[in-house]
Amino acid sequence: MMSRRILFSVGIAALCCCCSYAGWLDISNVNIRQEPTELAGPKTIIEYDIDEPSISPDAPAYVFVRYSRDAGKTWRLLPTDSLRGNGFDLVEKPGHKQIIWWGTAQTSFNDLDQVKVRLRAIAMARIPAGEFVMKSLPGAGRDESKEMEFDTDLPLFYMAKYETTIVMYVDYLNEVSDDEAGWNRRMSNNDRCGIIRDSDNTYQVQPGRGNYPITYVSWYDATNFLQWCGLRLPTEAEWEKALRGGIYLDGDGSQKKPNPLPERRYPWGNESPDAEGVFRCNFDGEEDGFAYTAPVGSFRAFSSPYGICDLAGNVAEWTLDWYSTSYHVGLDGFRLVRGGSWMAVPAACDAITGATQFPLKESSIMGFRGVKQANQSR
Amino acid sequence: MESLNRRAFMKGAAGAAAALTVLPRSRTYGANNKVIMGVMGLGGRGTYLAEKFAERPDVEIAYLCDPNTRRFARAREAVEEVQDTKPKLVQDFRKILDDRNVDALINATPDHWHGLGTIMACQAGKDVYVEKPLAHNVWEGRKMVEAARKYKRVVQVGMQSRSAPYVKKAKDYIQSGNMGDVYIVRVFNMMQHAKQQDSPSRPVPEGFDYDLWCGPAPKLPYNPSRRWLNQWEYSCGPIPGDAVHQLDLARYLMGDMPYPETVAHAGGVLSLKDGREIPDTQLAMFEYPGAPGLTLLMEAALWTPYMKKTPGNVRDSDRFPNWPFSSTKVEILGTKGFMYFGRHGGGWEAYDAQGELVRSEYGRQGDKEHQDNFVDCIRTRKKPTTDVEIGHLTVLLCHMANISYRVGNQKLELDPKTETFTNCDQANGYLKRTYRKPWVVPDNV
Repeated sequence: MMSRRILFSVGIAALCCCCSYAGWLDISNVNIRQEPTELAGPKTIIEYDIDEPSISPDAPAYVFVRYSRDAGKTWRLLPTDSLRGNGFDLVEKPGHKQIIWWGTAQTSFNDLDQVKVRLRAIAMARIPAGEFVMKSLPGAGRDESKEMEFDTDLPLFYMAKYETTIVMYVDYLNEVSDDEAGWNRRMSNNDRCGIIRDSDNTYQVQPGRGNYPITYVSWYDATNFLQWCGLRLPTEAEWEKALRGGIYLDGDGSQKKPNPLPERRYPWGNESPDAEGVFRCNFDGEEDGFAYTAPVGSFRAFSSPYGICDLAGNVAEWTLDWYSTSYHVGLDGFRLVRGGSWMAVPAACDAITGATQFPLKESSIMGFRGVKQANQSR
Repeated sequence: MESLNRRAFMKGAAGAAAALTVLPRSRTYGANNKVIMGVMGLGGRGTYLAEKFAERPDVEIAYLCDPNTRRFARAREAVEEVQDTKPKLVQDFRKILDDRNVDALINATPDHWHGLGTIMACQAGKDVYVEKPLAHNVWEGRKMVEAARKYKRVVQVGMQSRSAPYVKKAKDYIQSGNMGDVYIVRVFNMMQHAKQQDSPSRPVPEGFDYDLWCGPAPKLPYNPSRRWLNQWEYSCGPIPGDAVHQLDLARYLMGDMPYPETVAHAGGVLSLKDGREIPDTQLAMFEYPGAPGLTLLMEAALWTPYMKKTPGNVRDSDRFPNWPFSSTKVEILGTKGFMYFGRHGGGWEAYDAQGELVRSEYGRQGDKEHQDNFVDCIRTRKKPTTDVEIGHLTVLLCHMANISYRVGNQKLELDPKTETFTNCDQANGYLKRTYRKPWVVPDNV
């Protein structure tokens, strides 16, 4: 029998956040070993601890694994259908976790010294299946191919609680980008973004900027990052439901928790973002405390019914949906951006405001976050 | 010059524009003087123009204006990324006109604001870059020409294809007789639109001055699911709004022929039966006078998914569109040859009597050249490439086709001296709109 071997791997495991609301969630005590099996090749066992106390079925961590077989030169996302255990995809409780990387060709490493594994975790919010009130209209943008038939009964999905941060994006760049793909010079603007590109083609977060949302990302940059994680952009309908909540906040299945404001204008209710001198999100001007973007989660007291932060203001967010107008049929169409931004008037930080953008547009008022559809096999 | 008083705009039964008596500005531009502009209308096109002019070292965008404050952020961000100064954000374009430091207005509003917005800007001594189609109706277009001339203003129309160098080469080729006598020009505009949703009217959202947005047009109940482009009150129609580019190119290639004698129209709402009145299918035939007489044909529809505009990777490259399925092509038929001509930098290919390719030119889009020309004309006071009268004579074709449709597809005869129809009083009723007070275009601009 082949003896247990500890892989010389591990890599990042987790990036520590300066603030508890941003970036990757902490993962510690990562231990990786390989064991033989009787009938198949070796299985790889990854164990780790995730101690974030806020993790729950309603607010799970999305854990994904990336691996390299050439000592870190190239990396791949480990497909979840190769995995078993309680420590990957949506993790609903803190504690000690195990991932069994089972019986696939990927685990038959000839030279284990060349193998590296990286685990990362993102804070998510659960959006139960069920009906919601969709109010956005073509003035705000939509996909004309849908013939205006909005699906307001969405299946269960999960959305990142925070906008993707600079520290997360820098981590991504350092793993994937050796030719400036995903990076542009404007990202070095310290007021509006904050990434330093070094002469050795590596990237750093400018001091103090890690928890700010990434900006100057095109639609393609956003989708590339999310594919790297195993996530995708939200549709407009998902984005709007995440902000407003469903008719029942616990979903249509139980209907025990009706949404008190299913047609709310803002994540927190109907009060305007600056009503009565209370600043509920980051919009135009400095009165809310921020001249440009704010660290994600700065207005967490005014999050959505599912605890999702910054859907109103800070940065507008790319969605998956097209916007096609008559003048652009035949070309790559516009993509839809939802939500207001640090440059928007307060009223534009509501549930229905949207804007069209060229998918190549890199803007200081636009960022993104990911969603994950529930895994049917789990 | 007295500064404009906003109350003066609103004063008097003659309407907003008539209340103005303003002498045109006279400014000498030094090499280091920037041209100061304001942008009226912050949709996709207005935002694009704001960004492109702001990128220029010789232009400053001082104002961004839209009745809907939700539109500010996208345009403001685009401008602030490329110029050092921050533009002022206003809902009411009259604040731009009030500012004596502003030299020019970019009018990228929906069709119903092109006329009065441009006329008021001329009266306020501003030069104007106005988006196509020039005017909402025939009469209004003529008033725009009169205002530009009276106040000695540069008025450039946003039919930028005229400024693309490959277009002039095609014109020179045709005008040199290489095609023989040209008797037929076919203009295509084949698109794919979706039906509109039938949803109820809604309250006007906070931060949107809907009354100002409607301006000279009727103030219909607010209903964002009904696109302004599909309503006569606000638009010349989705087909004219795009086909006007190819119609203008056709006129240019054929030597800027002035007025057709007649128009005949066929078509209607054939596919997109969602309650709209504006046709989704327009086949128009314009007969021009003279020898050789020329017939201009427009073939346009909104339900042809296989027809594609010049793709993005063809527009600024050494490639041609797939001509049979090019939705925005122009075909020139002469006694000696045939030409495919593409909008959006699509280039052109000319064939001889045997069908052999004898000449071709790749194309590039003319946006930059068109903007250069506007700024240059502001400084030199020359007529721009697409002067207001060119815009008027081109959009006149769209109006003639629409009016023929609205009177039951009758063939109409035009008197070029009066710009009225000689054989149909009902048709003449569509030459001018009813203006909603106080936003009235006066007879005497």
